[in-house]
Amino acid sequence: MSLTLALSKGRLLAGAQALFRRAGLPFPQDEGRRLVVTLDGVRFLFVKDADVPTYVEYGTADCGIAGRDVLLESGSDVYEPLDLGFGQCRMVVAGLSGGSRRESIPALGPQGLTPLSGCAPEPPSAADYRRSSTVRVASKYPRVAAAHFRARGLSAEVVRLAGSVELAPALGLADCIVDVVETGRTLSENGLRVLEEVAACSARLVVNPASFHARRADLAGLIEQLRQARA
Amino acid sequence: MNGTAHTLIQMPAGVQCFVGEEARVRRAVEEQVVSVFEGWDFQEIIPPLFDYADVFASADLTPRTYSFVGRDGSLLALRPDFTSLLAKIAAGRLAGSPLPLRLYYSGEVLRYEPPRAGRRSELYQMGLEHLGGEPRAADCEVLAVAAECLERLGVNGWVLALGHVGVFNGILAGAPLEEAQWLALRDRVESKDEEGVAEAARAARLSPTVSAALVGLTGLTGDPRVLDKAEDALRGFAPALAAVSELRSVVAALDEAGLRGRLAVDLGEVRGLDYYTGLVFRAYAPGLGSEVGGGGRYDALLARFGRPLPAVGFMLGLDRLALLLERQGVFAPAVPPAPEPVGGAALGSDLARARGLREKGRRVRFGAGPETAR
Repeated sequence: MSLTLALSKGRLLAGAQALFRRAGLPFPQDEGRRLVVTLDGVRFLFVKDADVPTYVEYGTADCGIAGRDVLLESGSDVYEPLDLGFGQCRMVVAGLSGGSRRESIPALGPQGLTPLSGCAPEPPSAADYRRSSTVRVASKYPRVAAAHFRARGLSAEVVRLAGSVELAPALGLADCIVDVVETGRTLSENGLRVLEEVAACSARLVVNPASFHARRADLAGLIEQLRQARA
Repeated sequence: MNGTAHTLIQMPAGVQCFVGEEARVRRAVEEQVVSVFEGWDFQEIIPPLFDYADVFASADLTPRTYSFVGRDGSLLALRPDFTSLLAKIAAGRLAGSPLPLRLYYSGEVLRYEPPRAGRRSELYQMGLEHLGGEPRAADCEVLAVAAECLERLGVNGWVLALGHVGVFNGILAGAPLEEAQWLALRDRVESKDEEGVAEAARAARLSPTVSAALVGLTGLTGDPRVLDKAEDALRGFAPALAAVSELRSVVAALDEAGLRGRLAVDLGEVRGLDYYTGLVFRAYAPGLGSEVGGGGRYDALLARFGRPLPAVGFMLGLDRLALLLERQGVFAPAVPPAPEPVGGAALGSDLARARGLREKGRRVRFGAGPETAR
């Protein structure tokens, strides 16, 4: 029985491909629209990035590559034996640069769009959150966002969005957002600045616990090859 | 997702219903497993479906327990596990009975669980508890029984992964930790996330030696030979070394008993730390993403009920086992013979004929005419 590996075609694909090449492992090229590709006895599944932990948790895939952001959100019961080093980004809380209360921004005006001088995080301004009894947070990561505020003793109302989360504060949909940032450019273009870092993220190798033990002979080699090839 | 709006034929989340062949497979699996338990001279306990809620009090299960108030105002709970009930029975009704006590059970437990990856609200568990025996011998016996269950069912490629809670606890003995820090460390060790363990150790200001030992746990897994590596890696942590040597003696005995190749060691196995006190193990097989069962030593539980006894037990989940066997395509219970149709116009004499066939043990289908769909 061949090993099955779940990958996403998103942000982490190029890094995964480079890693496999360095490790001398096969990796599908120009696979087009095919979602399942078998190469040298390894079956590659191409799925949505947020679904990688699910395929691995259920054992449909023996292992996979997923961002730590996605893993934090999924809370899946999987092993994470390797930090693969690529796909680095930060999961942060970000709010409007002119103060995080939406009332202070009557409309999407020039003020709200002024790019910031970088987005170097100032000391976490938890005081900003505390001004309101309930913080309203927009996020693609509702579990992470809720847990983050709960752990600080704040009540938060999490607005689940599927994308363009950066718009929410300026439009008055939320006080702040929880999202991943790579360069911070999208944040500053939308008049946002980092208020707090939630977690540092990068690509992880995730492994199904049953496969890890019951298919040790097949998996141990792969894990070791990737360990040596990682950046 | 309105909690009350439903049609009468709708199933509530988390429950299941088995029909015909599915039910037959489950009964056959149960019969096999129970016959192994009986074969090792364990005696069955059929405990009550509900009991006082405080019998089940454990940090892990309380939030998942269905509890309700009895007519007399007492707080009751549907059993979320069997072990507490058996411990209570061992300390109560079976108080004074000769030791060791070998008890088994087979039945449903109820837990409030969000359905995902094989987790349901209604779980069928088959398990046993070995109470008051010499610990090493009892650990080995229980593992051998677990192994035989998997062998008998014809499961392919199964592995018992053994760990010991004394390794993780032994490394952290004496380290001043807040609960949140301890939980973060345990969570990262559980995920075998080296960098995550190192980060959590930094956050908890653990010494470099302690931190390095914890990081090392993420890799101390695999062939039982990792126990040699563990002895080197854990030098200086006497309680952890004692745990490793306990594991070593268990592995040696099982090796000699013919289970070499079926054993794995996983010193990063740290689930259930608030409950287990020694050996912990899980059974895995290819085809099912999660474990089919597991168990361990819990020497502190019986004292709660006033009869302090060392104890070790394990259970197999029938739901997971049935799914695994179906996926592996290995377990085929005997198909019952086709029924003999008995029926016609003469109701009384037909019934008499059917009764006659039944007396000879034959399978009958009573009634005239073909089946109809309505």
